[in-house]
Amino acid sequence: MAVSLLAQARNPIIRWEWIIEEWHQIQSAIFEHLRLTVLAMLLGLVVSAGLAAIALRYRWTLTPITATTSLIYTLPSVALFALLAPVFGNLSLYTAVLPLAGYTLLILVTNIVAGFQAVPPSVRDAAEGMGFGPARRIWTVDLPLALPFIVTGIRIATVSTVGMVTVAAIIGQGGLGRLIFSGLRRAFWTPMTVGASLSIILALLLDALILGVGVLLTPWARRRRATS
Amino acid sequence: MNGAARPTQAAVRRDIGFFEWFFSADTWWGNNGILESLRETVVLCAAVTLVAVVLSVPVASVLAHLRRAELSTTWLVSISRAVPTFAIAALLVPWSLRSGRGFEPIPIFTALLLLALVPIYLNTYTAIRQVPEGAVDAARALGETELSILTRVELALAASLVFAGVRVAAIQVVATEPIRAFLGGDGLGRYVRDGIGQSNNTLVVGGIVLIGGLAALTGLAFVVLERLVLPNGVRRLARQQGKRTT
Repeated sequence: MAVSLLAQARNPIIRWEWIIEEWHQIQSAIFEHLRLTVLAMLLGLVVSAGLAAIALRYRWTLTPITATTSLIYTLPSVALFALLAPVFGNLSLYTAVLPLAGYTLLILVTNIVAGFQAVPPSVRDAAEGMGFGPARRIWTVDLPLALPFIVTGIRIATVSTVGMVTVAAIIGQGGLGRLIFSGLRRAFWTPMTVGASLSIILALLLDALILGVGVLLTPWARRRRATS
Repeated sequence: MNGAARPTQAAVRRDIGFFEWFFSADTWWGNNGILESLRETVVLCAAVTLVAVVLSVPVASVLAHLRRAELSTTWLVSISRAVPTFAIAALLVPWSLRSGRGFEPIPIFTALLLLALVPIYLNTYTAIRQVPEGAVDAARALGETELSILTRVELALAASLVFAGVRVAAIQVVATEPIRAFLGGDGLGRYVRDGIGQSNNTLVVGGIVLIGGLAALTGLAFVVLERLVLPNGVRRLARQQGKRTT
């Protein structure tokens, strides 16, 4: 990183021609960023759904599960990415996806559990009274009613994952984070600015997208909002 | 010093074992030693946490006392876990360098500060809102001024939760600060950075142990500090409230 002071001062914050010339590089960084985010979120969701199911079935496990996931959440990100690098190798998908998924657990488990706990007992009783079995009741009654909470959890977890993916660049992955590093190494600020701002924009876009999907999935909530 | 990255990479034998490295005096002392890195990290984290407290606590307590800004507070809850620290710091680095302020401290300080503000603000706000209304009314009936109600009744009763917010913020700051080593700075993150750069696992593991250890110690330090600073009655009250709300 030995770069002269002069070069650092001379380079503009952003050079628009570079964005057009190197668009393919930016595009592939965005795709890599999205791929890591989606994989981590899917893994995180599967694990969280399992943990939440256990916590809801056996109430006493909620405290240890929350404690463990909060512990994972507070682990230093640089340390966690570096920790798995010698195990799986720098460029292995596991090295980036496992920590990223780990960070989503606390938010997802908390929201899934809160969602199912918020289902009114009377609704549950009514479903049982109408002859719904446990599986059918969970899928067609509990899950839809818990959806707003779950969607909120997915939104928060996604936004924080998009931010965290940039840190995965320290092990040579991390999509837009790689742009940040390549800019930093050459004291050429355009990729750095582009990478950092695109990661923030990407987070906001995904947030809006999931919010939209959530609204489409729960039309009754919208209707209630309209009438009240 | 200012601007150019310092050539601080420590030359360490690649075949050195972790314990041999960790327990040798050269590793700890001197210009490139762990103690120097530790000092850099602790100074930055302490400064960030302190400024975050000074900014968050008064604003949050006044707003909570006046029962204002409820909506923006719930909105804060959802973004609190999503502050893109690394991107914010990276955005500020070119600007800081071009204006002759160097790699540090402005970019990393600002990014960490944004991270720390939220939990302290949120905890202070909710803590003051949870103060029993009877206590506030009693103080008001006794003719206390609003300022004295805020500082001597509400903040006193909320102290334990405020403290918890500061603890969470400090741990998050310590856990995130190592990204500084990847943005032209040093601190404890440099061992992970140099280890990755030199493919030296001993350095990487050493860095992880140091960062994790400091984060754990920070949490512990706050538990001890709370015992020393807060009166027993306040802590007992907080425990009871915690039981009632959960």
